[in-house]
Amino acid sequence: MTQDDPFGIALNTGKLKSRPKDASPKAEAQSDAVAEKHGFVDRAPRKKRGRKPSPRTGQVHAKVMPEVSKEIAREARMRGVQQGVLIEEAWALYKADKELD
Amino acid sequence: MPTIVVASPKGGAGKSTTAVLLGTELARGGVDVTMLDCDPNRSLSLWAERADLPDRISVQSDVGESGIVRTIKAFDADGQVVIVDLEGVASRLVSRAISQADLVLTPMRATTLDATIGARALELIAEEEEALDREIPHAVVFTMTKAIQSKQHKGIEASLRGQGIDVIDPPLMERAAFSGIFAFGGDLHSMPPQGNMDSARANARAFAMEVYKRLTGEV
Ligand SMILES: Nc1ncnc2c1ncn2[C@@H]1O[C@H](COP(=O)(O)OP(=O)(O)OP(=O)(O)O)[C@@H](O)[C@H]1O
Ligand SMILES: [Mg+2]
Repeated sequence: MTQDDPFGIALNTGKLKSRPKDASPKAEAQSDAVAEKHGFVDRAPRKKRGRKPSPRTGQVHAKVMPEVSKEIAREARMRGVQQGVLIEEAWALYKADKELD
Repeated sequence: MPTIVVASPKGGAGKSTTAVLLGTELARGGVDVTMLDCDPNRSLSLWAERADLPDRISVQSDVGESGIVRTIKAFDADGQVVIVDLEGVASRLVSRAISQADLVLTPMRATTLDATIGARALELIAEEEEALDREIPHAVVFTMTKAIQSKQHKGIEASLRGQGIDVIDPPLMERAAFSGIFAFGGDLHSMPPQGNMDSARANARAFAMEVYKRLTGEV
């Protein structure tokens, strides 16, 4: 019983005994078989099929004004390059301008 | 620790509410409680994030089919309780959890639909007992019960008892505090009052006491 709750239930945790349960792969298979029969089926989320996406480590996620975004998209489409190429070029210009490197 | 699995393939039968009320009341009574959230909708985890967890309660999120048996085993020790909350679907995860249970609780509202779909859990338990050659104690708990019980409720309850199924008395009444616990997190003592709190607390406590008795073999 907890002090702040005089009407609380007083539980004797010593009486809470776990019973032995078979956790072997065989028991699991038996349980699965019963499940299958009763329509309790595998609903675990499927792994995505096909090629894994390539790692995009260090990818830049630039958020720009909608107009700028449209212009970049148009230019990239016209030149048939990824938008990232334009960002690389812009970065090179920026660095040259600031005399970085 | 005794493991209590809350299972019904019927969505919205009151599983997560039963799990949270039971867990918080047992913890109040001094029992260490580990709750396993096996529902991809994460009801229990969301409850746990709403407010500070009550003393003696911990929640393990995202326990899936491949990890359930191992996870139950990891927390299975005398003197404590594991409560497993499942998604309201017929899945292999439900059956694996039942295979590791010391007690299965099947909540149902007193409707024909809940009773019919809930019965699928009872059939599954019966056959698992046979396949695993082990008694799996189980009981039905009526949820969202009205103060004045409908004819339908009485009929369904009588039918279950007639089949020798253990029906827990008291049921969990329909109460603002019981739905509010998910909005506020914590337990019936920490949340801001919703409706008649004394009655809600007394109901949840009496229910938890009945479950405790089943774990200790007093019923
Ligand atoms: N005794 C009760 N009194 C009032 N509201 C309740 C009670 N039991 C459950 N509810 C409400 O009914 C809805 C469904 O309950 P709950 O989420 O517990 O069911 P569930 O069986 O866990 O559902 P799912 O199958 O989606 O996991 C919730 O909005 C919950 O707040
Ligand atoms: Mg739920």
